[in-house]
Amino acid sequence: MSNVIEEANWKFHWRLTESAGIMIYLADYKGRRVLWEGSLPYVTIDHQRQELSPDQDAAEPHGPWWVPLGTRTIAGPVRVQSFRGGVELSANFVAGPYHYMQLWRFHDDGRLCPWLTILGPGVHDQHTYHPHFRFDFDLDGAGDDAIERFEEGHWQRVEHEGWFPYSGEADDHGNVWRQIDFGSRATINIRPHSWDDAEVFAIRYHDGEWAPFTPRSAAGSQPFPAGYVGDEEIDGQDVSLWYVAHVHFDQSFPYTAGPWIRVEGLG
Amino acid sequence: MAPKTAAKAVKRPKAKAKAKPAKRPPDIAKAEPALFDPLTPGEVADALRTLTEDRRLASMAKVGRYRVITTEPLVVKPPHLLSGHRLARVVAYDYSSDRAVDACVDLDAGVVVHLDLDRSQPMLSVAEEALAVSVAMVDERVRAKLAMGDSPQSTLHYWGRTSNDLAYARRAAAVVFGRSDGHASVIAVVDLLDQIVTQVVPAELW
Repeated sequence: MSNVIEEANWKFHWRLTESAGIMIYLADYKGRRVLWEGSLPYVTIDHQRQELSPDQDAAEPHGPWWVPLGTRTIAGPVRVQSFRGGVELSANFVAGPYHYMQLWRFHDDGRLCPWLTILGPGVHDQHTYHPHFRFDFDLDGAGDDAIERFEEGHWQRVEHEGWFPYSGEADDHGNVWRQIDFGSRATINIRPHSWDDAEVFAIRYHDGEWAPFTPRSAAGSQPFPAGYVGDEEIDGQDVSLWYVAHVHFDQSFPYTAGPWIRVEGLG
Repeated sequence: MAPKTAAKAVKRPKAKAKAKPAKRPPDIAKAEPALFDPLTPGEVADALRTLTEDRRLASMAKVGRYRVITTEPLVVKPPHLLSGHRLARVVAYDYSSDRAVDACVDLDAGVVVHLDLDRSQPMLSVAEEALAVSVAMVDERVRAKLAMGDSPQSTLHYWGRTSNDLAYARRAAAVVFGRSDGHASVIAVVDLLDQIVTQVVPAELW
């Protein structure tokens, strides 16, 4: 099967990674570059107590854990399927009691859906998933881009690296964050799933700060990607965006986490 | 203060606004897709040889107590000096110094072009996953809690939340035992440095 797909106004490449699921790279929409690389570096899982008695410490007794989604955990092949108005890639991953389906959906109107369906069941009901998606968008080129966040009723420029949680405010289309290319005036709009409790990290590119092979930095330090956040200016710089969802397990699972992404103004 | 907006009057980024008209950076649209291709077995071997011959890692290579976690292609974009080069990213764990190794090897030039040595905890290697299972399987406390039909279902990279937990700062794995239908029964935490089981917890109490 070819790893280059040209369909529904998109042209993109994909490969299965060791730990970051299906990676998409060099993705173009209507002949213009949109994405250098996008992946799912990790899904961490926290557990909470099933029951709490008055004499117990409320703090959770155990830390998080995770297992790579990739060549070791894939169950079956990567599937490429056309649907009405687009094309999608999907793959299932299984690690003991954790079952996932990763999706990349490309719509001919410029929508892009990097999603993760979480099926559970986990080791018990009281647990929370934290899928971490990473995007290195290059909208019509790597430079001349800026990040904005919808806040206080307006789009506001993000001038420095940082953590930008979804506060409940969004534009009329539900978009909360966006990347703008000032050459073409094209935008990449990011709309969170209402129930993702989502947050975005915007981080300036540095050598060595590639997609980490773990969320775990040194003991006592911030995990990644928060560990990469400094106070550097990002206006006009090469920036990677992390979209992190926080999804508590419940009996209505499966749940599909991940943003809607829409490219506008190209072509 | 009025918020800065880009929707109406597009303001160019500061760095660009101050600069004189300059030649455009190299076109990333011309990036070579083949650079993203999986490494061949020969390229993996080449990367590991180059890394272990690097003088900065001489002690690690000499003692030989390290595990290679993964070796994957790395592609950097223009205008970086290494753009267009075939690069391998090697991640390893050095047990002799209890540190992570994250390196970039330029396969075209045969040199290590980036090296981070730190206390982060990369994901488990396949060998570490197997080691954790073998340590847990022979532990009497684990065996005493297993029910008929229980077997290792998965091995996860685990770390403690507080310094009271031995796995807070030390490399650890959690082996989930259970039935093949997905039901989990027992979790064993394995300290990979000392190769001992440090916790045995019924799954419902995790």
